[in-house]
Amino acid sequence: MSNGASLNQNGVLDDVRRALGRSTTVPPVPLDPFIEPLDKAEPGELIARFTEEATAVRAMVYLMSDKLKFAGQIGALVAEICHTAGAKEVALSDSGLISEMNLHEQLTRQGLAVFAPEAASLGHERLVARLANCDLGLTAADYAIAETGTIVLSSDERNALLVSLLPPVHIALVRSSQIAATLGEVISRIGKERISRVGTSRSVTLITGPSRTSDVELVLSIGVHGPKELHLIIIDE
Amino acid sequence: MSLSNPNLTERSHAALENSVLQGALKAATTTFIERRRDAITSVADWEALRQRARQVKEHTINNLDYYLEQVVEKVEALGGKVFWARTGDDVSRYIIELARARGVKSVVKSKSMATEEIELNHALEAAGVRPVETDLGEYIIQLAHEKPSHIIVPAIHKTRSQISDLFEEKLREGRPNEVAEITAMARKRLRNEFLSAGMGITGANFLIAESGTVVLVENEGNIRLSTQVPKIHVAVVGIEKVIPRFDDLSVFLRLLPRSGTGQKQTAYVSFLNGPRQLESGFEFQLVLMDNGRTRILADEQMRESLYCIRCGACLNVCPVYQKIGGQAYGWIYPGPIGAVISPQLQSLGQSGDLPFASSLCGACRTACPVDINLPDLLLALRAKAKESGAGGKLSESLAMRSVAFAAKRPGLFELGGKVMRGIARLMSKDEKIKSVGFPPLSGWTRYRDLPAPPGGSFRERWKRNRHE
Repeated sequence: MSNGASLNQNGVLDDVRRALGRSTTVPPVPLDPFIEPLDKAEPGELIARFTEEATAVRAMVYLMSDKLKFAGQIGALVAEICHTAGAKEVALSDSGLISEMNLHEQLTRQGLAVFAPEAASLGHERLVARLANCDLGLTAADYAIAETGTIVLSSDERNALLVSLLPPVHIALVRSSQIAATLGEVISRIGKERISRVGTSRSVTLITGPSRTSDVELVLSIGVHGPKELHLIIIDE
Repeated sequence: MSLSNPNLTERSHAALENSVLQGALKAATTTFIERRRDAITSVADWEALRQRARQVKEHTINNLDYYLEQVVEKVEALGGKVFWARTGDDVSRYIIELARARGVKSVVKSKSMATEEIELNHALEAAGVRPVETDLGEYIIQLAHEKPSHIIVPAIHKTRSQISDLFEEKLREGRPNEVAEITAMARKRLRNEFLSAGMGITGANFLIAESGTVVLVENEGNIRLSTQVPKIHVAVVGIEKVIPRFDDLSVFLRLLPRSGTGQKQTAYVSFLNGPRQLESGFEFQLVLMDNGRTRILADEQMRESLYCIRCGACLNVCPVYQKIGGQAYGWIYPGPIGAVISPQLQSLGQSGDLPFASSLCGACRTACPVDINLPDLLLALRAKAKESGAGGKLSESLAMRSVAFAAKRPGLFELGGKVMRGIARLMSKDEKIKSVGFPPLSGWTRYRDLPAPPGGSFRERWKRNRHE
């Protein structure tokens, strides 16, 4: 395999250079950055815009005050969503916010089975099979984008990408301070994190509404392969 | 239109006579045009984004060797493997060998034009590796053993009831009637496939050079599952998909969903960097595919056809696509962009008739999010097809030559005009020519009347009227 690879490697890259009329690669002058108009919005405005856009793509959005965090009321809301969705078993990602709020214990007290996988203990196949059987996944977002009602999850939060994908219902916690105005701002942040950490593998997913398709007669159908329901709880700081 | 390859004409006739297809095409293209029109108004300066995207693509394609080297360096630093493939066969052979070496029996695939282009599924099946298409539209197409008819909605030509029949016959779990039931049935079936597959194969919408990141845009979640569940992820990517930096991406992420489906953002955008985990067993394999692209790159005029981001907007607005649909184009890339890249990726001999299937109205260029000059590229390909003899017809070229001869000789031109007008008026009735028994005019009058020419030429009337 490796022999074929190196032969082809030389071949295709040489073809590219030949097509461009040169025999060695010349580093180009990079393009000037593209300046998008800055969007300076007040925090309250960002929350309102985020809520409007997320709701438009059929996410459910809840706004909770930070003060309710330790009073257990956010936990109660999560439990209520679980009960409404008919969830019996809830999977948690490994998030600082989730453990800080003691949600594992709160949900257990509400009579829900909680699955909070330790990465090393299971092995990938069993983890996947187990998560696929959970009724609901709970994660915390890294960022959010007001412009499109999008949340951003990354593999830095252990299991977040699978917990947000395999169960049919997904709840994500979003801190209001994480909401950026535009896609450009967030992309640029993700890029910086990534480039400064070369050698570390890190996946990121932008999520905008529940899974959807229009493949049959262009009729919108929600919940194809990903979650059918997306609940976003904004914690107003 | 050239008739050198009667297949395009025959395929078009079949499409025009299929009333189910006509209804589906009309509904789909109209809906997409409206959704796109609404979506682009949510951007402050659409034209500025388009021109920036074009500039980024132009810069990248003109320095493709540099950015490809950067991609390879970054992906390898992340622990991924890179394989360069000159042809589609190279890609298939490599993936089959990899599947065998890892004991992979089934692979889950997400919609990828690159793997459609090289018919990877056939090769995998022949080698005893079972490919499962997981995008709902592609799954339908795979069950029906057909080819996609639209870049974004592959099964756009099929009605709900045809799909219900298909599922009933192939899946044997009853007949799903509503769209939601079709979706649920596919979800259940495919969920098991994701959990048991040894490998996930995807394409890429973008490949970021500075970080070696594969960017994938989707709505269903099947790409997330294909890349997060099996331990091995193989991305088959045309070499033209590179963009230099993360900061170049947001422009494209604004253009692509709005142009393709009329969404501000798709449900999911995944950024994947190398193997998901650095534990053993997890692999990321990047297959960089040429398959004719360097040939396009070598032609300075045609080079811009490599800017395409496969959004499908040019299909929806094209009056030819609107009537004949995707499958009539005969290969996997339909519409104006298909008419431009198919003859280049295949050959003029195989699909040199496609550039003639255009009215050159320019709607495609206006809709294109990277402003590819599709009408000019179509014209250039027509010229090439004529030169190579692939799209030419002797009678047509003789006729053109005689017109050219006469046009240089005013007396002869005037006489010729008089004779032709005389003949035409003899054939006409009530100022119309309704039917002509011989080609090439019979081709015209078969479907419509030809207006009879007026009594005199423009020059005669000019002379007359000037003295009034």
